[in-house]
Amino acid sequence: MSLGSFLMRKTAIAVATMVAVSFLIFLALEVNIEEVAVKVLGQYSTAEQRAAWLTQNGYDDPFLIRYLRWLMNFVTGDWGQSTYFRAPVMEMILPRLAASAVLAGGALLVIVVFGLSLGVLAGMRPGSLLDRVISVISVVTTSIPDFASAVFLSGIFVFWLGLLPGASTMISGFSLRELILPVSVLGLYSMGYLARVTRASMVDVMGTHYVRTARLKGASLSRIVLRHALRNALITPVTVIMLQLPWLLSGVIVVEVFYAYKGFGTLLYDAALNQDIYLIEACAMISVLVVVVSQILSDLIYGWLNPRIDLGAKA
Amino acid sequence: MSDPMTHPLLEIRNLSVSLPKGADRPFAVRDVTLEVKPAEILCIVGESGSGKSVLTATLMGAAPKGLKVASGHAMMGGRDLLQLSERQWQKIRGREIGMIFQEPMASLNPALTVTQQIEEVFELHSDLSKTDRAREARRLADEMHLPEPDRILHAYPHQLSGGQCQRVVIAMALAMSPKLLIADEPTTALDVTTQAQVLKLIRDLRDSHGHGIIFITHDLGVVADIADRIAVMRHGEIVELGSAEQVLKSPRHAYTKALIAAVPSLVPHDRPAPDTVAPALEVSHLNHSYGAVQVLHDINLSVAPGQVLSIVGESGSGKSTIAKTLIRLIDPSSGRIAVAGEDILAAEGQALRGMRRRVQMIFQDPFGSLNPRRRVGPMIARAAVLSGASRSEAVARAKELLELVGLDRSAYDRRPAAFSGGQRQRIGIARALAMRPDVLIADESVSALDVSVQAQVLDLLADLRKRLSLAVVFIAHDLRVAAQISDEIVVLSKGHVVERGPASEVLARPRHPYTRDLIDAAPGRDAF
Amino acid sequence: MKALSRYLATPLVLIGGLLSFGWLLVAILAPLIAPYDPLQTIQPLMRPLNSGPNGEFFLLGTDMLGRDIFSRLIWGAQTVVIYSTLATLTAYVFGLSLGLVAGYAGGRTDAVLCYLANVVLSFPVLVLYIVIIVVIGASPLNIVIAVTFSSAPAIFRIVRAITIDVASRDFVNAAITQGESTLRILFVDILPNTTGPLAVDFCLRLGYTAITIGTLGFLGLGLPPPTPDWGGMVNEGRGMAIAFPHLVIFPCIAISSLTLGLSLLADGLREVNDAKERQA
Repeated sequence: MSLGSFLMRKTAIAVATMVAVSFLIFLALEVNIEEVAVKVLGQYSTAEQRAAWLTQNGYDDPFLIRYLRWLMNFVTGDWGQSTYFRAPVMEMILPRLAASAVLAGGALLVIVVFGLSLGVLAGMRPGSLLDRVISVISVVTTSIPDFASAVFLSGIFVFWLGLLPGASTMISGFSLRELILPVSVLGLYSMGYLARVTRASMVDVMGTHYVRTARLKGASLSRIVLRHALRNALITPVTVIMLQLPWLLSGVIVVEVFYAYKGFGTLLYDAALNQDIYLIEACAMISVLVVVVSQILSDLIYGWLNPRIDLGAKA
Repeated sequence: MSDPMTHPLLEIRNLSVSLPKGADRPFAVRDVTLEVKPAEILCIVGESGSGKSVLTATLMGAAPKGLKVASGHAMMGGRDLLQLSERQWQKIRGREIGMIFQEPMASLNPALTVTQQIEEVFELHSDLSKTDRAREARRLADEMHLPEPDRILHAYPHQLSGGQCQRVVIAMALAMSPKLLIADEPTTALDVTTQAQVLKLIRDLRDSHGHGIIFITHDLGVVADIADRIAVMRHGEIVELGSAEQVLKSPRHAYTKALIAAVPSLVPHDRPAPDTVAPALEVSHLNHSYGAVQVLHDINLSVAPGQVLSIVGESGSGKSTIAKTLIRLIDPSSGRIAVAGEDILAAEGQALRGMRRRVQMIFQDPFGSLNPRRRVGPMIARAAVLSGASRSEAVARAKELLELVGLDRSAYDRRPAAFSGGQRQRIGIARALAMRPDVLIADESVSALDVSVQAQVLDLLADLRKRLSLAVVFIAHDLRVAAQISDEIVVLSKGHVVERGPASEVLARPRHPYTRDLIDAAPGRDAF
Repeated sequence: MKALSRYLATPLVLIGGLLSFGWLLVAILAPLIAPYDPLQTIQPLMRPLNSGPNGEFFLLGTDMLGRDIFSRLIWGAQTVVIYSTLATLTAYVFGLSLGLVAGYAGGRTDAVLCYLANVVLSFPVLVLYIVIIVVIGASPLNIVIAVTFSSAPAIFRIVRAITIDVASRDFVNAAITQGESTLRILFVDILPNTTGPLAVDFCLRLGYTAITIGTLGFLGLGLPPPTPDWGGMVNEGRGMAIAFPHLVIFPCIAISSLTLGLSLLADGLREVNDAKERQA
């Protein structure tokens, strides 16, 4: 019951957000119908052609009517035709989304494994040499822009050592080797961030009264960490992992463009370069949807990990 | 062989613990020599900064970072505790020395159930099987008189009250029947009636199990209730050590005498009853609810100029809610609050701002109530300006008030960080007085202060009341403090006024059972 | 002064300060230090440490249009410093004022502002930029607008949280019971108590903004050419990076060192704040 009502409320908030987002997107891209016609028909179309096209496609209707019609179409799966690729938007997006999910999934794995363990190691003994080293690593990885770390990593592993391919086009089928660099670049930033969050959380927990209690009960450091600190210290970072998805999505665009990886990011990028408005609209909607869903997941995980929070009762 | 019952459990010889360089003194604990015998409660008494907590943390091998044992021994069972390695400590903690802490709720792991946490002690120190461990935990729960032990054992700490948490912590400390128990302010965070129960439990444990107990506290009332012997600490040194009887009845050291003199007595002052004049503050039919929960039920109060009214109650009684409605930080659900006949609840906007001047508050937390970024003098002067004084008048008034509350004129240009807790409360009082109020609300204004400072601030308040003919509403959880300062006492329980009357009446002949409970629970009421 | 010395105590902070202020200095002195006009085409694709036909010396080589990379990096510092600072400041103007109001007023005002902030924040940053740039085009002003639009809600959230915390302290209650005006409570009592954490955030955000402008440049959606812009230089050189790595490596080092410097500086400020808090 409580879980149900929690989900209901969160979903309602998510829907409200999505409605506002969709309105913003539509407003930004389609309020000026002249521009729409130019973008769809090209710069060399005549004024008559544009006027005819606009009438034909219902652009004479008031803005709100057009918005509601567009929203209904979107919800029912009619995402329009890409003007640049000349193909239905939905059919184009789904396989690209899957390709990006592979990339993001790999990055998430790197982030979780390395981010959490580095953070825990650093936070166990704040001020130790290990802590210092890990802290420096995470500051550095969180400070370097994605495109720069792509340049650095490619410089080392592609041009200098010649170990890895410099592009990830996957032209001759799926290749794990081609995934290594984009996944590393993508994972690097959030890994450092997660390590910092985990460390801070771990340091807090190691300073709590209940950790002191455990120590004064006669528990060893390893037992204190494993049994008392870890579960409490991981609540925040695990929640943060889900909230890193928007960052990952931004990173996906840069990394895919850099490595010519055929995913969602390059699709959005091509759409932007070619003023392909229906494709942009759909891509933007999808990426916000991913973020909104990840926020719900993050709340759920938080409630599940934290016995103090009753999901039903939380405001 | 000496008698095992009189041979000390723990002998501390010339223990000194050094503070890091740059601290205000070289040693946190200096040249302490003490012993603890079986079946005895040794109370270590001291105010904040006396070094009493550092001493006990050192005895558990858990001195705060940066502090080092400079010299001395702590012998227990033929070993020097100060020489143990971390690995050796792990065998002793929980098995031979148990510890009870000040913050019971925070001392329990929020992610583990109560029974898991009690059973862990057996996991660490015994070979008991899972079922045996559970049985032992259950036995301890019974011994601690935990209500509904089966529910509580499987509950998480946040589902328990503070008193229940403290019993759980005690159960963990006693699980292996350690010879020595160290209790660091174990009842400070508890309500007075809960405190009385926990103190009784600790006394019973001493009598039935023969534990040697080191009990640290700042509260001399608690000491009088529980101590067999007393060590008084100040600035890291023991200034007086002796039997409870001797230290409390015939203290030798001047500091001990001062401490005892500062303890407010439950015997009320014998100030004559004030003449009846028109009340400065009159509260009638005050009700307030948070959502569906009604926290104040038909409260009626009145205070005359120059009179002190105390509102006494435990946490959750609604006393702070009353304070907040009196200064209109909260708008009550219904009722009337009249200051000199004018209803302040009816005022809005500019009129309200003008009226706010008349009721001023001294807050509980001396650290949160002053803006750390502002200098003290201008802060007080600003209050004067808001009450209608001119710029130069305000500055003059601020300087005058600083002197009135017992601070140096040089305080004018300093920031709050330069002052101690007691001094900050004085600044808070000066700021409130700068508005020339008719009514002064003191919400637990001395409860965060050490007892000697507490006494000074109470004296100041009493003096100001008389000189400025202020109506004072004094809100407290501590009956002693209320007894000292008030003309009239109102006892609040769960949002209801259960008893009211002249202070001497209420204390000498309480009518309501709750008031009687409160008076009975006041620690050390026979001693002071 | 005491804070400053404590703050310079750790070597990392020192490095951060040197990097950040070093680049600031380079940006200010760009016209004096740059050996050549960043737009002047001299000799294409010269490798680092080579000399041109008329005896010009190219420390970091030239790009495919024959422009001196060293000079373009120096002028690029000016670009990034100017636009990052400007964009971050305007974002702060909006985020700070709205955050103070929402955090102090609470209730409906707060709910509405939070909802709006959430809407903007539910866009992945880069997606939001791309949409904005597609609609309004890439120009210096538009980039400042885009950064303001996407950063202000994040600043709003931080300021709001701090404001709620500070406003719950008794000195604010004291000011209310004295009949102090709301405006004065906001700006005299609350605002000065938020500066510690906000200084940290400002440093970090300056870094994010530099990254954002660089990333947009890298994607070809940033400042229009031929403005010397680090991200744009990487974008232009990317096609020939295999043969001429100097085209991309140096601008990447430049932007990374700036953003790393700002992060380290932020860390240092945070430590100072924590130390202050522990003292109080």
